[in-house]
Amino acid sequence: MLLRLENIVVTRRGRALLDGVSLALEPGQLLALLGPNGAGKTTLLRVALGLLSPESGQAWLGERPLSGMSTRERAACVAWLPQHSASAEALRAVDVVASARYRFDEPFARAESAARAALSRVGVAAVAERALATLSGGERQRVALAGLLAQDAPILLVDEPANHLDPAQQIDVYRLLGELWQQGRSVVCVTHDVNLLRHLGAPNDVRVAGVANGKLAFECAFSDPRLAPELGALFGVQMRELTLGDARVLLPEPRA
Amino acid sequence: MRARPYLLAGAALLVATLSLWVGPSLSGAAGDFVLLQLRLPRLLVGALVGATLGISGAAFQAVFNNALATPSTVGTTAGATLGALLVLAFDASGGPFGVSLLTVAAFAGALFTTLLVSGLSASGRLSKNDVLLAGIAVTLAASALASGVQFASDARALVAAAQWSLGQLPQVGYRGVFLIAPFATTTLLGLLALGRPLQNLAMGEDLAQTQGVDVARLRFWVLLVASLGVAACVAWCGPIAFVGLIVPNLIRMLVGSSLRSLLPLSFLGGAAFLVVCDAVARVVLPGRELPVGVITAALGAPALVFLVSRAHRE
Repeated sequence: MLLRLENIVVTRRGRALLDGVSLALEPGQLLALLGPNGAGKTTLLRVALGLLSPESGQAWLGERPLSGMSTRERAACVAWLPQHSASAEALRAVDVVASARYRFDEPFARAESAARAALSRVGVAAVAERALATLSGGERQRVALAGLLAQDAPILLVDEPANHLDPAQQIDVYRLLGELWQQGRSVVCVTHDVNLLRHLGAPNDVRVAGVANGKLAFECAFSDPRLAPELGALFGVQMRELTLGDARVLLPEPRA
Repeated sequence: MRARPYLLAGAALLVATLSLWVGPSLSGAAGDFVLLQLRLPRLLVGALVGATLGISGAAFQAVFNNALATPSTVGTTAGATLGALLVLAFDASGGPFGVSLLTVAAFAGALFTTLLVSGLSASGRLSKNDVLLAGIAVTLAASALASGVQFASDARALVAAAQWSLGQLPQVGYRGVFLIAPFATTTLLGLLALGRPLQNLAMGEDLAQTQGVDVARLRFWVLLVASLGVAACVAWCGPIAFVGLIVPNLIRMLVGSSLRSLLPLSFLGGAAFLVVCDAVARVVLPGRELPVGVITAALGAPALVFLVSRAHRE
């Protein structure tokens, strides 16, 4: 399945949120979207999910335009991990994950067993019966990932998956995401932190796209030497490239 | 925890049945008549109305993701009141199929306001808060019109209007049961069928949409299906406050917010709650009956305050 955005324009109150962005996600690819706050990364995901119809331009899933598909058909292709989700504090984790199976026309018992399998797949089988309110931030994010898994779509759009997590949990989430990717799913991952991408497992296969002011600023491989200067320009900082052991780290510094 | 929903359901049925024997003793020649033509139909209507208000309240709270939503949030009650007041003010009588014109007008008013709001919600451009606001606006407009009608009516119509607006369950015979049952059944089955997608809304409308739920369409159908039953109840008994607000919230505290148990238990719990309130209304003042709306409010309001204070402590 191929996700393709063509010349997307979205304006809100006279301001262009997206100003002619084109992007393609090949099957099995992982694309990291980086950019400053308000650059249009989340808006781009919302267009790709069909939550927002662009003023002009077209989003495609394979050969079909997104606007011509039903919500259920879209749900079969694309799953979303939102940056913020409404907190259904009193719901059990397994109920939350089971509801992600809505697109399947199946009895509830089957949805529930798929939900339990997804929870154990991401290592939180033990919290299935607990209410969301009682879970830690890291556990909640794993439950959300289990929902993504339960929806069983080939394309995953994840928005700042490691926000508000401690470093160990951040690495955990990126490793899990990397596993889902390596099993053959295509992933778009919005993030501020380029250094977390190396925990995805195969950093050399990761593509990075920079978004600024509603436009695509650059697109290159994670291993490309252009990445540091491009990111520096994108965020308005001096990006130093350091090598620590086998890891390449980008360190932002104030501009001289 | 697993057995709790079944225990609650059993308790609700038991309490509702026992209330048949609340009141003066049934011995003597009139006993059978009182039991079969007065108390039993009254219990059945009370159960149907309470159940419909309970499950509709639970569904509306899920649609609007707001624990304070009620079956009248979309203007159903205000529309019914306006319709009823018009008939009272103009002293109109008659009506089709032996149903009073008052009931017909209240039902029409309720459906009109509901269709207005749910039609708006179907456009998909409105957020759930916009729909809530539209409901409040329609309620206020209908209430303003109703006040105008009251201003123009005579003293007799005013008393009748005040009585109607308190809600009442007394009846002779089974006409009310037969009138309400089809609507209540539609509401029950419809809302149970919509329980799965409704559950998705708990994590936010956008996420639900990406999980395959057509949110605007779902909202339209829930408002319509629930309001059909509510309109029938309000038309027959007048507005009965607090049941649709308090019952789903109480059930949620007992069994959690999974709609798989919340919807059916709000149905049963609403039935039991209203039947018990009605039994209290029958006996609390010797020789006189209070309108049941007074009791639901008297029991419901403190319970609501208790809930809110508990929620703040957590």
